[in-house]
Amino acid sequence: MSALTTPCPVEPPTAQPDADDAPLAPERDGPPPIRAPLEPPELAAIYDEHAHSIYYLALRMLGDPTQAEDATHDVFLKAYRKLGDFRGQSTVRTWLYRITINHCQNLLASWHRRHVFPTEDDALYERAPSTADTPLRVLENKELGQRIQKALDALPDEYRLLLLLVADEKLSYDEVGALTRQSADAVRGKLHRARKAFALHFHQTA
Amino acid sequence: MSQSNHKLQHQIKQEQDALARHTAGARAGLEFTTAEEAIRADADATVLPPAIAERLKKSIQAEPPPSKRSWWKRIFGH
Repeated sequence: MSALTTPCPVEPPTAQPDADDAPLAPERDGPPPIRAPLEPPELAAIYDEHAHSIYYLALRMLGDPTQAEDATHDVFLKAYRKLGDFRGQSTVRTWLYRITINHCQNLLASWHRRHVFPTEDDALYERAPSTADTPLRVLENKELGQRIQKALDALPDEYRLLLLLVADEKLSYDEVGALTRQSADAVRGKLHRARKAFALHFHQTA
Repeated sequence: MSQSNHKLQHQIKQEQDALARHTAGARAGLEFTTAEEAIRADADATVLPPAIAERLKKSIQAEPPPSKRSWWKRIFGH
Protein backbone atom coordinates (compact mmCIF):
# COMPACT_ATOMS: atom_id res chain seq x y z
CA MET A 1 0.00 0.00 0.00
CA SER A 2 2.91 2.34 0.58
CA ALA A 3 3.65 2.37 -3.15
CA LEU A 4 0.24 3.89 -3.72
CA THR A 5 1.03 6.94 -1.68
CA THR A 6 4.65 7.55 -2.63
CA PRO A 7 5.01 11.18 -3.67
CA CYS A 8 6.00 11.70 -7.28
CA PRO A 9 9.32 13.59 -7.51
CA VAL A 10 8.21 15.73 -10.46
CA GLU A 11 4.79 17.26 -10.45
CA PRO A 12 3.14 16.24 -13.72
CA PRO A 13 1.38 18.87 -15.79
CA THR A 14 -2.34 19.28 -15.59
CA ALA A 15 -4.27 17.46 -18.27
CA GLN A 16 -7.90 17.04 -19.16
CA PRO A 17 -9.38 14.48 -16.83
CA ASP A 18 -11.07 11.39 -18.15
CA ALA A 19 -14.57 10.31 -17.26
CA ASP A 20 -13.66 8.05 -14.37
CA ASP A 21 -11.54 10.15 -12.09
CA ALA A 22 -12.48 13.61 -13.27
CA PRO A 23 -14.70 14.61 -10.34
CA LEU A 24 -12.32 13.37 -7.69
CA ALA A 25 -9.84 16.20 -7.63
CA PRO A 26 -11.95 19.22 -6.60
CA GLU A 27 -13.37 20.08 -3.20
CA ARG A 28 -9.95 20.22 -1.55
CA ASP A 29 -8.38 23.21 0.08
CA GLY A 30 -4.93 22.91 -1.44
CA PRO A 31 -3.41 21.23 -4.48
CA PRO A 32 -4.25 17.54 -4.68
CA PRO A 33 -1.64 15.10 -3.42
CA ILE A 34 0.42 13.60 -6.22
CA ARG A 35 0.98 9.90 -6.03
CA ALA A 36 2.97 7.52 -8.15
CA PRO A 37 1.05 5.90 -10.99
CA LEU A 38 -0.14 2.41 -10.19
CA GLU A 39 1.56 -0.57 -11.72
CA PRO A 40 -0.27 -3.81 -12.62
CA PRO A 41 1.33 -5.97 -9.89
CA GLU A 42 -0.38 -3.75 -7.34
CA LEU A 43 -3.83 -4.79 -8.52
CA ALA A 44 -3.92 -7.82 -6.22
CA ALA A 45 -3.25 -5.64 -3.19
CA ILE A 46 -5.85 -3.12 -4.37
CA TYR A 47 -8.38 -5.91 -4.81
CA ASP A 48 -7.70 -7.31 -1.35
CA GLU A 49 -8.17 -3.94 0.25
CA HIS A 50 -11.17 -2.58 -1.64
CA ALA A 51 -13.09 -5.45 -3.28
CA HIS A 52 -15.44 -5.98 -0.36
CA SER A 53 -16.48 -2.31 -0.28
CA ILE A 54 -16.89 -2.19 -4.04
CA TYR A 55 -19.02 -5.34 -3.99
CA TYR A 56 -21.20 -3.98 -1.20
CA LEU A 57 -21.73 -0.65 -2.96
CA ALA A 58 -22.68 -2.47 -6.18
CA LEU A 59 -24.92 -4.86 -4.26
CA ARG A 60 -26.93 -2.11 -2.62
CA MET A 61 -27.01 0.08 -5.74
CA LEU A 62 -28.18 -2.76 -8.00
CA GLY A 63 -30.07 -4.79 -5.40
CA ASP A 64 -29.02 -8.12 -6.85
CA PRO A 65 -26.09 -10.31 -5.71
CA THR A 66 -25.41 -11.81 -9.15
CA GLN A 67 -25.38 -8.42 -10.84
CA ALA A 68 -23.21 -7.03 -8.05
CA GLU A 69 -20.76 -9.88 -8.61
CA ASP A 70 -20.63 -9.10 -12.33
CA ALA A 71 -20.24 -5.39 -11.61
CA THR A 72 -17.37 -5.95 -9.16
CA HIS A 73 -15.57 -8.08 -11.74
CA ASP A 74 -16.13 -5.45 -14.43
CA VAL A 75 -14.99 -2.58 -12.18
CA PHE A 76 -11.68 -4.24 -11.34
CA LEU A 77 -11.12 -5.29 -14.94
CA LYS A 78 -11.70 -1.70 -15.97
CA ALA A 79 -9.35 -0.55 -13.22
CA TYR A 80 -6.71 -2.97 -14.52
CA ARG A 81 -7.08 -1.54 -18.01
CA LYS A 82 -6.84 2.01 -16.69
CA LEU A 83 -4.07 1.59 -14.15
CA GLY A 84 -1.72 3.61 -16.32
CA ASP A 85 -4.26 6.44 -16.50
CA PHE A 86 -4.62 6.79 -12.76
CA ARG A 87 -3.01 10.09 -11.94
CA GLY A 88 -3.13 9.97 -8.19
CA GLN A 89 -5.27 13.06 -7.83
CA SER A 90 -7.62 11.03 -5.69
CA THR A 91 -7.18 8.02 -3.48
CA VAL A 92 -7.42 4.61 -5.08
CA ARG A 93 -10.59 4.01 -3.09
CA THR A 94 -12.41 7.05 -4.47
CA TRP A 95 -11.12 6.24 -7.97
CA LEU A 96 -12.62 2.73 -7.70
CA TYR A 97 -15.83 4.15 -6.21
CA ARG A 98 -16.13 6.55 -9.16
CA ILE A 99 -15.78 3.65 -11.63
CA THR A 100 -18.33 1.62 -9.64
CA ILE A 101 -20.87 4.43 -9.41
CA ASN A 102 -20.61 5.16 -13.15
CA HIS A 103 -20.84 1.47 -13.98
CA CYS A 104 -23.88 0.85 -11.78
CA GLN A 105 -25.64 4.03 -12.89
CA ASN A 106 -25.15 3.01 -16.52
CA LEU A 107 -26.59 -0.42 -15.79
CA LEU A 108 -29.55 1.05 -13.95
CA ALA A 109 -30.21 3.52 -16.76
CA SER A 110 -29.98 0.84 -19.41
CA TRP A 111 -32.34 -1.40 -17.49
CA HIS A 112 -34.83 1.43 -17.01
CA ARG A 113 -34.67 0.56 -13.38
CA ARG A 114 -34.12 4.02 -12.05
CA HIS A 115 -36.49 4.67 -9.26
CA VAL A 116 -38.23 7.98 -9.69
CA PHE A 117 -40.47 9.20 -6.91
CA PRO A 118 -41.78 12.54 -8.09
CA THR A 119 -43.85 13.05 -4.97
CA GLU A 120 -41.16 12.02 -2.51
CA ASP A 121 -39.14 15.19 -2.62
CA ASP A 122 -37.33 16.95 0.19
CA ALA A 123 -40.49 18.76 1.26
CA LEU A 124 -42.33 15.49 1.67
CA TYR A 125 -39.63 14.10 3.92
CA GLU A 126 -39.67 17.31 5.92
CA ARG A 127 -43.43 16.99 6.45
CA ALA A 128 -43.37 13.28 7.22
CA PRO A 129 -43.66 12.25 10.86
CA SER A 130 -40.18 12.02 12.27
CA THR A 131 -38.95 8.49 12.80
CA ALA A 132 -35.31 9.48 12.59
CA ASP A 133 -34.90 9.31 16.34
CA THR A 134 -36.56 5.92 16.62
CA PRO A 135 -33.95 3.16 16.74
CA LEU A 136 -33.73 0.95 13.67
CA ARG A 137 -34.41 -2.56 14.94
CA VAL A 138 -34.14 -5.94 13.23
CA LEU A 139 -34.08 -9.50 14.52
CA GLU A 140 -31.13 -10.83 12.56
CA ASN A 141 -28.55 -9.97 9.93
CA LYS A 142 -30.47 -11.61 7.11
CA GLU A 143 -33.48 -9.44 7.85
CA LEU A 144 -31.19 -6.42 8.14
CA GLY A 145 -29.95 -6.85 4.58
CA GLN A 146 -33.43 -7.27 3.16
CA ARG A 147 -34.84 -4.27 4.98
CA ILE A 148 -31.88 -2.05 4.17
CA GLN A 149 -32.26 -2.95 0.50
CA LYS A 150 -35.98 -2.15 0.55
CA ALA A 151 -35.42 1.14 2.35
CA LEU A 152 -32.60 2.13 -0.02
CA ASP A 153 -34.65 1.17 -3.07
CA ALA A 154 -37.42 3.49 -1.89
CA LEU A 155 -35.06 6.47 -1.63
CA PRO A 156 -34.23 8.98 -4.35
CA ASP A 157 -31.00 7.96 -6.12
CA GLU A 158 -29.06 10.83 -4.57
CA TYR A 159 -29.98 9.94 -0.99
CA ARG A 160 -29.24 6.25 -1.54
CA LEU A 161 -25.76 6.94 -2.88
CA LEU A 162 -25.08 9.55 -0.22
CA LEU A 163 -25.89 7.16 2.64
CA LEU A 164 -23.90 4.30 1.14
CA LEU A 165 -20.85 6.52 0.74
CA VAL A 166 -21.08 8.24 4.12
CA ALA A 167 -21.43 4.84 5.78
CA ASP A 168 -17.90 4.09 4.57
CA GLU A 169 -15.82 5.52 7.37
CA LYS A 170 -12.73 5.56 5.14
CA LEU A 171 -14.25 8.30 2.99
CA SER A 172 -14.14 11.92 4.10
CA TYR A 173 -17.05 14.29 3.51
CA ASP A 174 -14.86 16.00 0.91
CA GLU A 175 -14.44 12.72 -0.93
CA VAL A 176 -18.15 11.93 -0.68
CA GLY A 177 -18.82 15.42 -2.04
CA ALA A 178 -16.44 14.86 -4.94
CA LEU A 179 -18.04 11.52 -5.76
CA THR A 180 -21.53 13.03 -5.70
CA ARG A 181 -20.45 16.27 -7.41
CA GLN A 182 -21.25 18.66 -4.58
CA SER A 183 -19.51 20.38 -1.71
CA ALA A 184 -18.86 18.74 1.63
CA ASP A 185 -21.25 21.26 3.20
CA ALA A 186 -23.98 20.21 0.78
CA VAL A 187 -23.33 16.59 1.77
CA ARG A 188 -23.76 17.47 5.44
CA GLY A 189 -26.94 19.38 4.68
CA LYS A 190 -28.54 16.60 2.66
CA LEU A 191 -27.43 13.86 5.01
CA HIS A 192 -29.99 14.88 7.59
CA ARG A 193 -32.83 14.52 5.09
CA ALA A 194 -31.38 11.29 3.73
CA ARG A 195 -31.25 9.78 7.22
CA LYS A 196 -34.81 10.87 7.90
CA ALA A 197 -36.03 9.42 4.60
CA PHE A 198 -34.16 6.16 5.24
CA ALA A 199 -35.63 5.83 8.74
CA LEU A 200 -39.12 6.45 7.39
CA HIS A 201 -38.84 3.72 4.78
CA PHE A 202 -36.94 1.35 7.06
CA HIS A 203 -39.74 1.44 9.62
CA GLN A 204 -42.29 0.91 6.86
CA THR A 205 -40.53 -2.30 5.83
CA ALA A 206 -41.09 -3.89 9.25
CA MET B 1 -39.42 -37.58 47.50
CA SER B 2 -40.56 -34.03 48.03
CA GLN B 3 -36.92 -32.95 48.02
CA SER B 4 -36.49 -34.70 44.68
CA ASN B 5 -39.57 -32.96 43.31
CA HIS B 6 -38.30 -29.63 44.53
CA LYS B 7 -34.96 -30.25 42.82
CA LEU B 8 -36.70 -31.18 39.57
CA GLN B 9 -38.93 -28.12 39.71
CA HIS B 10 -35.88 -25.93 40.34
CA GLN B 11 -34.14 -27.46 37.33
CA ILE B 12 -37.19 -26.91 35.12
CA LYS B 13 -37.43 -23.32 36.33
CA GLN B 14 -33.77 -22.73 35.48
CA GLU B 15 -34.25 -24.15 31.98
CA GLN B 16 -37.35 -22.02 31.45
CA ASP B 17 -35.47 -18.91 32.58
CA ALA B 18 -32.60 -19.70 30.22
CA LEU B 19 -35.04 -20.22 27.36
CA ALA B 20 -36.81 -16.96 28.20
CA ARG B 21 -33.51 -15.10 28.25
CA HIS B 22 -32.53 -16.62 24.90
CA THR B 23 -35.89 -15.73 23.35
CA ALA B 24 -35.76 -12.21 24.73
CA GLY B 25 -32.27 -11.81 23.32
CA ALA B 26 -33.39 -13.02 19.91
CA ARG B 27 -36.38 -10.67 20.00
CA ALA B 28 -34.18 -7.75 20.92
CA GLY B 29 -32.08 -8.48 17.84
CA LEU B 30 -30.01 -5.68 16.43
CA GLU B 31 -30.57 -2.00 17.04
CA PHE B 32 -29.06 0.98 15.27
CA THR B 33 -29.41 4.69 15.82
CA THR B 34 -28.52 5.90 12.32
CA ALA B 35 -28.83 4.69 8.76
CA GLU B 36 -25.06 4.62 8.38
CA GLU B 37 -24.70 2.43 11.45
CA ALA B 38 -27.21 -0.08 10.04
CA ILE B 39 -25.54 0.01 6.63
CA ARG B 40 -22.12 -0.60 8.17
CA ALA B 41 -23.44 -3.61 10.09
CA ASP B 42 -25.02 -4.91 6.90
CA ALA B 43 -21.76 -4.40 5.02
CA ASP B 44 -19.84 -6.24 7.73
CA ALA B 45 -22.26 -9.16 7.45
CA THR B 46 -22.00 -9.26 3.65
CA VAL B 47 -19.54 -11.79 2.29
CA LEU B 48 -17.52 -11.03 -0.81
CA PRO B 49 -18.12 -13.94 -3.22
CA PRO B 50 -14.74 -15.67 -3.70
CA ALA B 51 -15.64 -16.52 -7.30
CA ILE B 52 -15.06 -12.89 -8.34
CA ALA B 53 -11.31 -13.07 -7.74
CA GLU B 54 -10.96 -16.27 -9.75
CA ARG B 55 -13.04 -14.87 -12.58
CA LEU B 56 -11.07 -11.63 -12.55
CA LYS B 57 -7.80 -13.52 -12.67
CA LYS B 58 -8.92 -15.38 -15.81
CA SER B 59 -10.15 -12.18 -17.43
CA ILE B 60 -6.86 -10.41 -16.74
CA GLN B 61 -4.87 -13.32 -18.13
CA ALA B 62 -6.81 -12.93 -21.35
CA GLU B 63 -6.07 -9.20 -21.52
CA PRO B 64 -3.15 -7.62 -23.37
CA PRO B 65 -0.66 -6.07 -20.90
CA PRO B 66 -1.73 -2.54 -20.01
CA SER B 67 0.42 0.38 -21.01
CA LYS B 68 3.10 1.14 -18.45
CA ARG B 69 3.68 4.65 -19.77
CA SER B 70 2.63 7.36 -17.40
CA TRP B 71 -0.32 9.47 -18.41
CA TRP B 72 1.71 12.63 -18.87
CA LYS B 73 4.27 10.77 -21.01
CA ARG B 74 1.48 9.50 -23.24
CA ILE B 75 0.04 12.99 -23.57
CA PHE B 76 3.27 14.90 -24.01
CA GLY B 77 5.27 12.18 -25.69
CA HIS B 78 8.36 12.23 -23.46
